[in-house]
Amino acid sequence: MTDEILFQLKSVSKKFTRGKETISIFEDLNLIINKGDFVSIMGPSGSGKTTLLNMLGGVDKPTNGSILFDSHPIEKLTEGQLSKWRAAHVGFIFQFYNLMPMLNAEKNVELPLMLKKLSSKQRKNSVNTALKLVGLADRSKHLPKELSGGQQQRVAIARAIVSDPDLLFCDEPTGDLDRATATEILETLQLLNKDFGKTIVMVTHDPEAAKFASTCLHLDKGIFEQQNSTTQEVTKEESEKEHSS
Amino acid sequence: MNSLIKQILAVIGMNIRSLPQRFWTSLTTMLSIAVVVGVLLAFLAMSDGFDKTLNSSGADDVAVILNAGSQAELNSGLSGEVVKIVTDAPGIAKNENGPITSPELYVIVDGIKKTSLTEVNLPLRGLSLNGLKLRNNVKIIQGRMFQPGKNELVVGASILDQFNGFDLGRQVSLGGVTWTVVGVFDAAGSVFASEIWADYRAVQTQFNRGNSFQVVRVKLETAGDLSKIEAFIKADPRLSMDVTTESEYFSEQSSGVAVLMGLGWGMAIFMAFGALAGALNTMYTSVAARSVEIATLRAIGFKGIAAFCGTMVESVVLAFIGGVLGTLAVFVLFDGITTSTMGASFSQIVFSFDLSASAFITGIQFALIIGLVGGFFPAWRASRIPVVVAFTAST
Amino acid sequence: MNNAYLVFKNLTRNKLRLFLNSFAILIAFLLFGFLGSLQNAFDSGVELSADDRLMVVNKINFTQPLPIAYVNKIKAIEGVKDVTHANWFGGYYQDPRQQAMTFAVDAESYLRVYDNLVLDEKSQKDWLSNQQGMIVGERMATSYGWSVGDRIPLSSNIFSQTNGSNTWDLTISGIFKPSNPQTDTNFILIHYKYFNETQKWGGNRIGWLPITTLDPSLNQSVADAIDKQFANSSAETETSTESQFNKAFLEQLGDIGFIISGVVVAGFFTILLVVGTSMAQNVSERTGEIAVLKTLGFTSKRIFGLILSESLLLALFGGLLGLFFAGFFVTGASQEPQLKNILPNLIMSQDIVLRSLAYMLILGFVTGFIPAWRAMQLNIIDAFNKN
Repeated sequence: MTDEILFQLKSVSKKFTRGKETISIFEDLNLIINKGDFVSIMGPSGSGKTTLLNMLGGVDKPTNGSILFDSHPIEKLTEGQLSKWRAAHVGFIFQFYNLMPMLNAEKNVELPLMLKKLSSKQRKNSVNTALKLVGLADRSKHLPKELSGGQQQRVAIARAIVSDPDLLFCDEPTGDLDRATATEILETLQLLNKDFGKTIVMVTHDPEAAKFASTCLHLDKGIFEQQNSTTQEVTKEESEKEHSS
Repeated sequence: MNSLIKQILAVIGMNIRSLPQRFWTSLTTMLSIAVVVGVLLAFLAMSDGFDKTLNSSGADDVAVILNAGSQAELNSGLSGEVVKIVTDAPGIAKNENGPITSPELYVIVDGIKKTSLTEVNLPLRGLSLNGLKLRNNVKIIQGRMFQPGKNELVVGASILDQFNGFDLGRQVSLGGVTWTVVGVFDAAGSVFASEIWADYRAVQTQFNRGNSFQVVRVKLETAGDLSKIEAFIKADPRLSMDVTTESEYFSEQSSGVAVLMGLGWGMAIFMAFGALAGALNTMYTSVAARSVEIATLRAIGFKGIAAFCGTMVESVVLAFIGGVLGTLAVFVLFDGITTSTMGASFSQIVFSFDLSASAFITGIQFALIIGLVGGFFPAWRASRIPVVVAFTAST
Repeated sequence: MNNAYLVFKNLTRNKLRLFLNSFAILIAFLLFGFLGSLQNAFDSGVELSADDRLMVVNKINFTQPLPIAYVNKIKAIEGVKDVTHANWFGGYYQDPRQQAMTFAVDAESYLRVYDNLVLDEKSQKDWLSNQQGMIVGERMATSYGWSVGDRIPLSSNIFSQTNGSNTWDLTISGIFKPSNPQTDTNFILIHYKYFNETQKWGGNRIGWLPITTLDPSLNQSVADAIDKQFANSSAETETSTESQFNKAFLEQLGDIGFIISGVVVAGFFTILLVVGTSMAQNVSERTGEIAVLKTLGFTSKRIFGLILSESLLLALFGGLLGLFFAGFFVTGASQEPQLKNILPNLIMSQDIVLRSLAYMLILGFVTGFIPAWRAMQLNIIDAFNKN
């Protein structure tokens, strides 16, 4: 946890229209994420936590407001620029792993490296390092269907970190796993955060999982509620103070 | 048992009703089968039409005598003397005038095909009025028969139908000599309907044949019995001739076109395999797309065989509709169409596309076979989808 | 790992589907390759005709003879370079049903007019000095296993000798080759003089006269002049260019070409339909994966390329296999005796191969374009929501 601001959400709203109705997911949301944070976002279903994650990842755009990554507004980037940005800075981890079924573990991990200019030796090194880190170096040639749920998720983590991104976004990473395996996964995430300085934003509805994070935010009906005393959330009053000074 | 039947019917109903969901793939299967059936039927119709023409042309009780080794009337050459000798052969039917024989000539003249306006070879047959006696199915329908010795022509109805240049009353110039078309004859769709006839003497003069002929047609005492004539020819060193029954003669003539027809069948079979691949693909996709649905049914208690039947029926129904579509298309486009092609003697034979009821049935059978084979393996797979699939979240 | 690897892996992930699709494409190109070659063979007789060679035939029909006196009369007409003559012999070897195309010609002038038949000097000399000699085309010699010097009994469906036999014993003086591989060499040339003197019916009649003109631009005027000269005689003539003549002959088969084309087009569209829907199906099942790739940072353009490459590769794979088998069938068919006479020049030409390749690429493009486009446009959120 540092004091370097990596991500800042400013007055972000997300609405969508269904027929004649306009539904507001959240309105006027503010958030600061510092470099090295491990933030977990919890909330009931429909609270918009996945939407929030998607916006942070540049996969979705806010209706209003600004999302600043390193002071750059990413909501203004084109699709092509966002692709590049994600390739350089972001790793995603999903609830259902989303591995390519026809590629083996190491090829799956290698995927993000296709977006970089590396020699095959460098690639091999990166892939091996990533797999070693998640403890699956000996299963590198297995296909996803030959791996357990926990192993698949670890391959997914390896894939997410192989190009050494600053950020890891996790959407219910342990939602499909049993308790013991979930713990393993969360410990790995913690390791990545503490030892490797990765900034992690994790969406979950499992309170046990949230405990592994250093900060826990609760999103309900589009409003953040403080859960943890060391929260980094900026309240409305505080942000107004900032502006006036 | 009753409940099993109910299950089967229920699944069949579900499969059929869900077809609109798989609209494009189902449409593809239907169309590909329609095309295959269409091609097959078109060739069948051509082949049937051609066969019909040839089969109605030859009689079993008429023998065709040609010069040895000539294979066709056009090639053959028989001098007046040998013709005279052979007409005395035993085995030839007689009436009060003597043996019933018709010495004839067969040459080729040019005509213009109506549809392509290109030049084609048309047969001109020189014969005597006796020749009519050996062809029961010929009668004059317009104008009159030619007068012996005159430069007059009568044409078969198919000639008028397909070719220009020989209309009734027309004057035709052959080598500086003027001939007149004085009549049209009907020949019940046989090969003779594609011929032009004239008096043999006039033909001999026009084409510098002297007293020679090309073929002798004789009526046989006993239908199909050539033995006496053959023996007679063999015994006489002056006679070097081949004898066949007229029906045999015409079936030989069709062999060239038969090759092309065979080609058509071959192509249809190949296309059928292509359509089969398409049908299989569709059905496998259909089963895969609904695997959760099917597994759920099994979880509820439906037997595997119900799933099997459901998929089979789906496949067969699609194939059947495709088959009907293909058949209708061919029927509308081709049935009754008359066309002509080059027969063995380099001259035109006119025939119709004949789409019979049996061809229709063959087409549907073909479609159903594709449907059955294309549905079997996917149906088998459907019946064996493990129930657990119903509980597995899709990834 | 690279794009090619991903494309390959995607294609082979469902072996059954790959097989079925490749098979369908294989069939399509098998049909096209075979039927296209057939069509080509029909047309090549026309295309390979020399443009300065004319045929003079009897106006009544080309099967009617002309007087031999016409040879000199036509030679004297302005614009005519060379004149030769030929008679249809109606030949066969051993089996009267299997025709061995034979022409009785004026040897020297025939070889001059038909300069696309290549005969070495020695053979030429031998033939010209031996009236009982014949020259055989390479194709026919190969199929019967004949060599120079063989004594062959050649029979005729039409003619017989004065001694009553319809077989002539002739010696092979030489074997001629074609200057172009599609030129027909499935026939025999014998001496007209010898034939005419020995055949029963006698008379100085010839079948038709192939002539050459000084320049193709003179063709029409020469043809008109010839026909005018013999108009209203007992043997009127009709003169046309060789290609017109060959075309007219083939046209007699009727709409065979049309039917062939029809079948090919029908087959092709069917395949297009089958493979196209399969491709589209394929991609729509993979929206989740495509979304993940986009999340990882793969650009839409790259994804478009990946999917299009898949369908192109599939089309090429099935298509090349189909062409390969078509080649087999063409070779087999070209040996079939019935077809040999109608279509002596049946081969799978470079033209067919190139056209097939082009169609394969078009097939791949058309079947892949819409799925690739849709993948490119895919919205990540929608894709994740669907799943």
